[in-house]
Amino acid sequence: MVHISDGILSTPILSAGWAISIVVMAATIWWCEKRRDLSEEIPRLSVMTAAFFIASLVHIPVGPTSVHFILNGLMGVVLGVLAYPAIFIGVLLQAFLFQHGGVTTIGVNTLNMGIPALIAGAIFRIPVGRLRLCEVSTGIVAALAGGVGVLLAALFASLTLIVTGRQFFEIAGALVVAHTPIIIIEAIVTGSIISFLIKVKPELIGLGRSQCET
Amino acid sequence: MLDHPWIDRFASLDSPIHRFDPRAKAITFLFLIFSIVLLSAVKLALVGLLTSIFFLALSRLPLRFALRHIKWVSLFIIPFFIVMPFTVEGSEIYGVHGLKVTYEGVEYGALIALRALSAVILVLPMIATTRFEEMMKALERLRVPSIMVQMLIFTYHYIFVFGEEWERMWRAIESRGFRLRTTLYALRTLGRAMGMLFVKSYERSERVYYAMRSRGYTGRQRTLAEFNLKRSDLVLSTLIISIGVILHIIQMEVM
Repeated sequence: MVHISDGILSTPILSAGWAISIVVMAATIWWCEKRRDLSEEIPRLSVMTAAFFIASLVHIPVGPTSVHFILNGLMGVVLGVLAYPAIFIGVLLQAFLFQHGGVTTIGVNTLNMGIPALIAGAIFRIPVGRLRLCEVSTGIVAALAGGVGVLLAALFASLTLIVTGRQFFEIAGALVVAHTPIIIIEAIVTGSIISFLIKVKPELIGLGRSQCET
Repeated sequence: MLDHPWIDRFASLDSPIHRFDPRAKAITFLFLIFSIVLLSAVKLALVGLLTSIFFLALSRLPLRFALRHIKWVSLFIIPFFIVMPFTVEGSEIYGVHGLKVTYEGVEYGALIALRALSAVILVLPMIATTRFEEMMKALERLRVPSIMVQMLIFTYHYIFVFGEEWERMWRAIESRGFRLRTTLYALRTLGRAMGMLFVKSYERSERVYYAMRSRGYTGRQRTLAEFNLKRSDLVLSTLIISIGVILHIIQMEVM
């Protein structure tokens, strides 16, 4: 539901979404290219984007309905700043292949999920990188990052609706409320994914290898 | 679980849209999508929808295929269509218990629905009439950054690979008696399974990438398709672009 479709948002918001997304993408790619050869990173990035795409199709039963994952927090934790271009690719493919979301809203939707992903990444990287935490507390920090990622994505999406017009106030509120179960579920799942990865393949989350931010 | 999107399943059919140069197709259809989505008059948006249907018909894509893709966006649009009549301020046409349905609200809801539907319909002649590889090569020719094109290609292919991988894993998990519920235990198990998917995918990607590199992959797209702009491409491009421009000229005159 965080994918806002075509025809709803106003022109200034759509343009702002595109402009900010393009600038942030160029900045993150430039930032990483300065530090290492990105052509080696493309497979890893694409794999994570595809896996995120598949995992976000998993439906979890909640009461009478079901919810699905967003996993932008996990992207931020795993990919660091490159989560932003990766989310752009995911959103683009979803718009064109599955008709989830819209074409004109690719910019805004990337922004709504991407900025929270960057924040989630920072929430995870800053303490874990500095303190060398053990597995359990790393999982807890990752869970926090995952939850914050979804919470912010829902808030951002409803904010874009509210800014577009007063008539979207009720729908924007419903959107945030509808995401509360996902925040909790995604926090738990992100936490367990990361504590699993730390045991099995720490280099996948960039720990124990030279990293973009450090 | 995973519906194979296979957007280019009908790329081998023949129609004026199929023969349209992929570079021109990408640019002109994107232009048309944006110009219809940015319309603010209901009548013009209706013209936009009819234009979209015209191009869909011209592309000779099967109707069932089109409807399956349109279904999703309808699910998103319907809530807006229901809520807007109540939340947009304006002249009342019907009132129940303090809730009033406004004329402006109905009109606004219709506008949203028309614009969203037009965009989704236009995506089909734009994307589904070209093979994915050709479209990627077209993007590269249009100077889209190589890292973006490569990521699109890799991600697109891996989606299918991992979709099947995940289905296999999930079947294995369920055959051992696991049922997905909203309990801490079930969610943590799900998380570990997803983690395993990431590990498997990551290792596979490294193998594939080195195999590609050793066979001479440099990141540039090589297909047998050659692009030449023909006169028919220019005619079709001019037609599509002028529809978008004319819609906005009419809108400016009306307002």
